[in-house]
Amino acid sequence: MTRSRASLISQRIAAAVAIAVALILTLFPVYWIAGNSFKFDIDIFSVPPQWFPANPTLKHYNAAFIERPFLQYGLNSLIIAMATTIVSLVLGTMAGYALARFKYPGQWRYQISFWILSTRMMPPIVTIIPLYLAFNYLDMLNTKWAVVIAYTAFNLPFATWMMKSYFQDLPVELEEAAMVDGDTRWGAFLRVALPLARPGLAATAIFCLIISWNEFLLALILTLTERSQTLPIGIAGRVTQYNTYWGEISAAGFTACIPIMIFAFVVQKHLVRGLSFGAVKG
Amino acid sequence: MASVRFNDVSKKFGNFAAVANLTLEIMDKEFLVLLGPSGCGKTTTMRMVAGLEEVTAGDLYIGNDRINDTLPKYRDVAMVFQSYALYPHLTVEENIGYPLRVRKVPLTERKRQVLDVALRVELDGLLGRRPKELSGGQRQRVALARAIIRTPRVFLMDEPLSNLDAKLRVQMRAELKHLQHELQVTTIYVTHDQIEAMTLAHRVAVMNKGIIEQLGKPKDIYNNPRTLFVAGFIGSPPMNLIDGEVQDGVFAGPGGLRVPGLGRATVPRAVLGVRPEDAQVVINSAEEANFSAPIYSAELTGESTLVSVRAGDTLLTMRADKNFAGDFDQIVGVRIRPERAFLFDRESRNRVDF
Repeated sequence: MTRSRASLISQRIAAAVAIAVALILTLFPVYWIAGNSFKFDIDIFSVPPQWFPANPTLKHYNAAFIERPFLQYGLNSLIIAMATTIVSLVLGTMAGYALARFKYPGQWRYQISFWILSTRMMPPIVTIIPLYLAFNYLDMLNTKWAVVIAYTAFNLPFATWMMKSYFQDLPVELEEAAMVDGDTRWGAFLRVALPLARPGLAATAIFCLIISWNEFLLALILTLTERSQTLPIGIAGRVTQYNTYWGEISAAGFTACIPIMIFAFVVQKHLVRGLSFGAVKG
Repeated sequence: MASVRFNDVSKKFGNFAAVANLTLEIMDKEFLVLLGPSGCGKTTTMRMVAGLEEVTAGDLYIGNDRINDTLPKYRDVAMVFQSYALYPHLTVEENIGYPLRVRKVPLTERKRQVLDVALRVELDGLLGRRPKELSGGQRQRVALARAIIRTPRVFLMDEPLSNLDAKLRVQMRAELKHLQHELQVTTIYVTHDQIEAMTLAHRVAVMNKGIIEQLGKPKDIYNNPRTLFVAGFIGSPPMNLIDGEVQDGVFAGPGGLRVPGLGRATVPRAVLGVRPEDAQVVINSAEEANFSAPIYSAELTGESTLVSVRAGDTLLTMRADKNFAGDFDQIVGVRIRPERAFLFDRESRNRVDF
């Protein structure tokens, strides 16, 4: 009795320590960026380190968002990430549904699914020169739409596969019942399958959003000016030949974290259910 | 309301024939039960009527319409699924009203009809709940209500009672039978439970390996099984099927069992079928018995006692009076009346008349 209670307590302590370590590892960098964004340049490099801004200042925010076009970068990022997510979600959901539900002769369901995923097997950098030439030919370089199209091409395979697996987990009888009740296949998809796949939609949406929001390489090649440049490109641009503007980088970087955190917070209820949907039925 | 007609219908999954050359007409207003073990093709047959499986060959009619290539929504059938297939994200009211919503019935009219049906199946206090907040019996009623809210040409029921507990199953069985009588809608009912088939059906089609072994009224199928499969499948406890040999009207089975009086039949590889209620246990008049053996087991079921003895490797079960007092190892006689026994050919598996 007492032994098992003692072991229970030690288990709890071990779990708490492990969680604390994990939290420090993940949260400290965020805290450090947040702290640095409010410090004067001299304080950022002070020895011993200044754990908390002694003289807080908004100077770097002013520099980034008023003097430099970070507001425009943020807006570009937002438009590109949202457009990419919406297009990937709409197309990926329909493609995933088709792969999960329709009949295919022989091995074609597997073959098509694998082909879709295989487009993600080459490193993105391999596609950059063809993409650059294609967008140049279409006169679309340095436009937001070029970035949206390129991102969608890279997000769609994942969106399709994620949605395919969610639809496969739904009992097919529900849609069959809807069709016998007088609905079309499309109606059964819209009124029955789609509402039930909401956790999958949420998980897929946040996945696409994070990938597009953080992407650097494609945006670096396809964009030139603040007309289409995104936050990661803008932030990287503050590492210059002569100086690295840590304060501005911190201010913009910390600001860039916020929208994703808000979105993750909003959908997290769906997300957790979404990720465990296949494992725990019901 | 309409008849359903299968004209030489087959369904293949790859090389496997789930249903083979099925010809069957289900009359208008008839309650037909498709009975058989799992994998016999009964559910596939029903799903072809619903339009959930394509017909590989042959013609399928509802009324005068050939429906081979008709989408489910235009077939005007209603189906109750084994799992009920209730929409988990919708309330009971929305579930029952779904067929009307799809047909664009105005909301107020829809609500009125849903309430009507809900009253009929006693779901009226539960309209605001979701399926997961209901008991098994209540879910079953929702599925039923969703089927009867419109008057379809055909009802399809795929083992609708199999997920209910025994007591509720008996109650719902009676309700289903009454409801079908009241609504007068052609009904196809799939089950592996022969009691359900016997109690509900106007006619039963006993299926095995994709074909109909026998089609007829429950009474005929029980009293006059035409194949070994039907004989063994119908009846509880099942018919005793004893392997042996028939020479000139005399059956010789395992353990010295002899049954004379089978006409002039001669079947070298025969199966004698005797229902438990048609075999008698005789205790004191040994000369009347075909066979004597010690009691293997005696089970009181309430209304009767099931007495079993061993004849060689075969266990014979007889239905005796509820006051039967024998105990293990007591020697009893078994009397089989030849006029109540069935004879089958073990090769063709068909009935042999005598």
